[in-house]
Amino acid sequence: MDVPLLSLLVIIPLIGAVITLFMGGERQKYAKFVALAFAAVTLVLALVVLFTKDFSTLDEYYGWIDTAAMKMGISFSVDGLSILMVFLTSLLVLLVIIFSSAESDRPNYFHTLVLAMEVGLMGVYLASDYFLFYIMWEITLIPMYFMISWYGGPRRHYAAIKFLIYTHVASLVMLIGIFAMGFEVASMLGGPVDFSFDVINDVMPMASETMQSLLFALLFFGFAVKMPAVPFHTWLPDAHTEAPTGGSVLLAGVMLKMGSYGIIRVCLEALPAGAEYWQWVIITIAVVSIIYGAFACIAQKDLKKMVAFSSISHMGMVMLGIGVLNEAGVTFAIFQMFAHGLITGILFMVAGMAGHNFGTREIPLLGGLAGKVPVYATFMMIGFMASLGLPGLVGFWGEFGVIFSFYEFIDANNMIWMIVFCLLSLMLTAGYYLWAMQRTLFGPETTKIDLSHVHDVSKTEFAAMAVLVACVAFFGVWPDAALNFIEPYAHGVASLFGVI
Amino acid sequence: MFIEYTWLIPLLPMLCFLIIGFVGQKTPQKGGYIAIAGAAISCILAVLISYEYLTGDAYPAAVTESIHWFTIPGGFEINVGYYVDGLTCMMMLFSSFISTLIFVYSLGYMGEQGERRKRYYAEVSLFLCGMLGLIVSSNFLVMFIFWEVMGLCSYLLIGFWSFRHDDGDEASANAASAAKKAFLVTRLGDVCLMAGLFILLGEFHNLDYASMFDPANIAAVDSDKITIAMLLCFGGVIGKSAQFPLHDWLPDAMAGPTTVSSLIHAATMVKAGVYLVARGYPLFVQDANVMLFVGIIGGVTAFIAATMALNNMNIKRVLAYSTISQLGYMILGLGAGGYLMALGIQHGDAALIAAGTAGMVAGCFHMMNHAFFKALLFMCSGSVIHACGTEDMRLMGGLRKHMPITSITMLLGSLSIAGFPLFSGFWSKDLVLDIALEAGDETVWFTVLWILAVITAFMTAFYMFRMWFMTFMGEERENAQHCHGESPKSMTMPLVVLSVFAVASGFLIMFGLDGIVGIEYTGAAFVVGGAETEGFEYFSELFTNPYTYLTIALALIGIGIAYLMYVKCSINPGKFNKNGESWLYKALSNRWWFPQLYNQISWKFGYGIARGVDYVDRQIIDGTVNGLSGAVVGGGSTVSKMQTGHVQDYSSIVLLGIAVLSVVFLVIAMITGGI
Repeated sequence: MDVPLLSLLVIIPLIGAVITLFMGGERQKYAKFVALAFAAVTLVLALVVLFTKDFSTLDEYYGWIDTAAMKMGISFSVDGLSILMVFLTSLLVLLVIIFSSAESDRPNYFHTLVLAMEVGLMGVYLASDYFLFYIMWEITLIPMYFMISWYGGPRRHYAAIKFLIYTHVASLVMLIGIFAMGFEVASMLGGPVDFSFDVINDVMPMASETMQSLLFALLFFGFAVKMPAVPFHTWLPDAHTEAPTGGSVLLAGVMLKMGSYGIIRVCLEALPAGAEYWQWVIITIAVVSIIYGAFACIAQKDLKKMVAFSSISHMGMVMLGIGVLNEAGVTFAIFQMFAHGLITGILFMVAGMAGHNFGTREIPLLGGLAGKVPVYATFMMIGFMASLGLPGLVGFWGEFGVIFSFYEFIDANNMIWMIVFCLLSLMLTAGYYLWAMQRTLFGPETTKIDLSHVHDVSKTEFAAMAVLVACVAFFGVWPDAALNFIEPYAHGVASLFGVI
Repeated sequence: MFIEYTWLIPLLPMLCFLIIGFVGQKTPQKGGYIAIAGAAISCILAVLISYEYLTGDAYPAAVTESIHWFTIPGGFEINVGYYVDGLTCMMMLFSSFISTLIFVYSLGYMGEQGERRKRYYAEVSLFLCGMLGLIVSSNFLVMFIFWEVMGLCSYLLIGFWSFRHDDGDEASANAASAAKKAFLVTRLGDVCLMAGLFILLGEFHNLDYASMFDPANIAAVDSDKITIAMLLCFGGVIGKSAQFPLHDWLPDAMAGPTTVSSLIHAATMVKAGVYLVARGYPLFVQDANVMLFVGIIGGVTAFIAATMALNNMNIKRVLAYSTISQLGYMILGLGAGGYLMALGIQHGDAALIAAGTAGMVAGCFHMMNHAFFKALLFMCSGSVIHACGTEDMRLMGGLRKHMPITSITMLLGSLSIAGFPLFSGFWSKDLVLDIALEAGDETVWFTVLWILAVITAFMTAFYMFRMWFMTFMGEERENAQHCHGESPKSMTMPLVVLSVFAVASGFLIMFGLDGIVGIEYTGAAFVVGGAETEGFEYFSELFTNPYTYLTIALALIGIGIAYLMYVKCSINPGKFNKNGESWLYKALSNRWWFPQLYNQISWKFGYGIARGVDYVDRQIIDGTVNGLSGAVVGGGSTVSKMQTGHVQDYSSIVLLGIAVLSVVFLVIAMITGGI
């Protein structure tokens, strides 16, 4: 195809961001329509990409820095790993714009930030050059920083700077790893340092195990902070608690996936020997994240903070699938990334709405709201049920597949008792969600907040969540719709490891 | 011609759920008629399919058809489809039939709920989809999905009054907490079941009944793995069918509407666990010890639950305990039969295998009979509650005159569950006892369980008639005097219809039911149905067995004592329990302290650890992060103070630097041996 679809996926939101940036003054109330149009076009393009039969025909390469010492290109490509993330990004950005249509505080800048974030996210998922990848990775930080510090809650400045510095430090460590890979490959091949994915991911697996393990540690740290994995997670609850709802949806829905995407794309593809060396560390971190996140959820009093911790637990599930290092594990890790992106969108919308619609997100102050706001209660229930892995909804298949592949792995290693951790996490997940529902939706109506101002979901909020619910049900009933994209890719990754 | 459309059976109620969910408020009865139509059509379809199957050429081989759903890398196939055999037929017939009646009954019972009926009918339709889907699905994973859908509906319906309850805030808080408890306690079992399915999937590479029940495939699998897997699967049964020690959610679940108790917590959902054991028989019988465990859980549950019903004053709670107790009977029957069949397969003894088949029949037979009479009893209690506005039996009494239909139908149901001769409960209960005694020849465990079960039979007769006498006989107490009289037709009609079944369904065993549901092991295959039926031999068999007369006598004594205590009042129950002061009475009222145990575990283990994790998170992990950043900022500002702007300070620092460097160089030089 002659249309450069992949670059358009990056450029169109960029144009949208620039236009909305200059829509100050009187025109700012139209910013949302402009943003909506650009996001919708992006989603359409993403769908066109999704239904392209052969992804390799879409590859694009533009020279950028091409010297005798170093080669960096602006190159994009898409495969089974990135396509779902691209779809998820374009979908969630569109829904966030619809959901946040009532934003009245400098709406043009809000939409600029949302679209700028889409630029960075698309870039990360589409880049096929390490240097471009890194730049796009850093670009996502800036809009999110402003999103939190301009539109956030009372402690927004602390949360924003913590988010920026914490994840930036991690990216610097990652950058060292990227450079080291580049130079290592250059010294193996001779010639200029070439940062393209093709070259590095082809050659790097042939490097020595020591080298791979060392680089794996650097890069894994960079990605694990983003995911986030315990104990490098503490930026996340703060960032989420303070971020505006739309920001939280994007942060949890697609930005966290950058971490797991990076682990699969870089750590597994380029450094398979490193992954095998660190396998048990990955699994330990994953299991700790799952259990720790779930227990932390039980203790939270802020609805949004609880959802934030549940993200840690569920992203731990993704890491567990990755840590298994076989085809089923990687397949369902990617599926779980996708599933979590859809579900967590609903969860953060619901949690955020508690703040707007009831005036507080403190669980102990709420109660008996199901009679007052039935539509809200329905969405909360669907979101919570999907997240706790109710079969027939998308979250179940992610968990089922990951735990099953983990079971196969520990069964082969005669450590079947480790399944207990997974089962415990399923139990705890049900526990914190049901307890939270009991305290917010059911029981006697609360007297601690003024119920006269409480209102149910607005039309735009309803539309955004309904789309997500439809997706959650669709992919829950027909998981193959997503698995078909993932499986060929996962098969390729798994072939790097001894076991398939 | 109908059998190809078996997949429609769960889909019709699903469709009703969607219709009611989207446009229910605009239809008469807020979706009630739609729900009834869905259930009735499913029921008719079930009849047609059963007829076609049982008279068809394929019988007794199961008719199954699956389509590929998706693949888990590594060669694990997940299919979705339907599976029809004798057991499926029996289950779908009685489930859809009773559901239809209960939905009709709901028109009257829920009639005053206004707009909320939409939610009610949508949820019960979804529930019916879950139950029928569970029955007709062709593999364990699809079954598990419907199993969980039912769990969700149970949660939603128990919590139907969890907000804006007519009886005030305490009742709604109570319903909310009961719903949560039901979901979480069964979830514990479900999680075990899921682990069992992982093991089975890992070993068999798919979860289709058709391939898993093939003895050749079973033989190819590590038998230890099957043992562990089936024990874990039985964990799911313990949760769903409210077996000891996870039984405690069921009495609390009575916070839901009585129709829900009748449908979900008596007739259908709680049977799902029993059905799982019956369905998974070919795998369960691979290890006799698994079946021994199943039997022990069943027997202990039957006994413990019956004790708790003895002194309860809440009419629905008594029925809830009796449900748990009867479920225990079913599990005991299946366990004893499976134990015998497992031994038979092990030793190649055809007689033992046949006895095992009889046990399996007894368990399933009791499941069906219980569905009829317990649904009836719950609906009668609902009728009573509807009329009196209370669930406390101490406020009822003498209602026989006000509610003749309810009192007679409930009497029939009580006679049936008490095991009065020729009523349906009598046949199946005595078959269960019979098989437990037979298994007692192999191991003393089953003799003990048989004794427990016989005592339970006595207690059952006593507490059921205690309930009936307290409600319908004697003087009229507080609420009975304000009774509204007999319930509307929509409620009494289902009672009458059900009471016919509650009385007579026991005779089905003599007309070939045992041949349809019983599982036979031929060495080459496990086949459900098609066996020779004993027919009227059951009659002679039971009435020539001296132990039958023992249980009949015990039942009559139980009824008699209840009569003396609560009608004649010639025996004062207070004498036995020191007027409620004896430790036993307190233990029973406190439900053997199980609720406290659950609470302690969830608070200490769940919330306690959670608080600890939260503390560690905020103080130690985040403390380290903030400490590090504080150190950087603090260090920076300390060092920045050295920027004083005075040349003298800078020059003295330069001097200091030179001095330090000189010393360092000197030391290095000395160490390297330069000087």
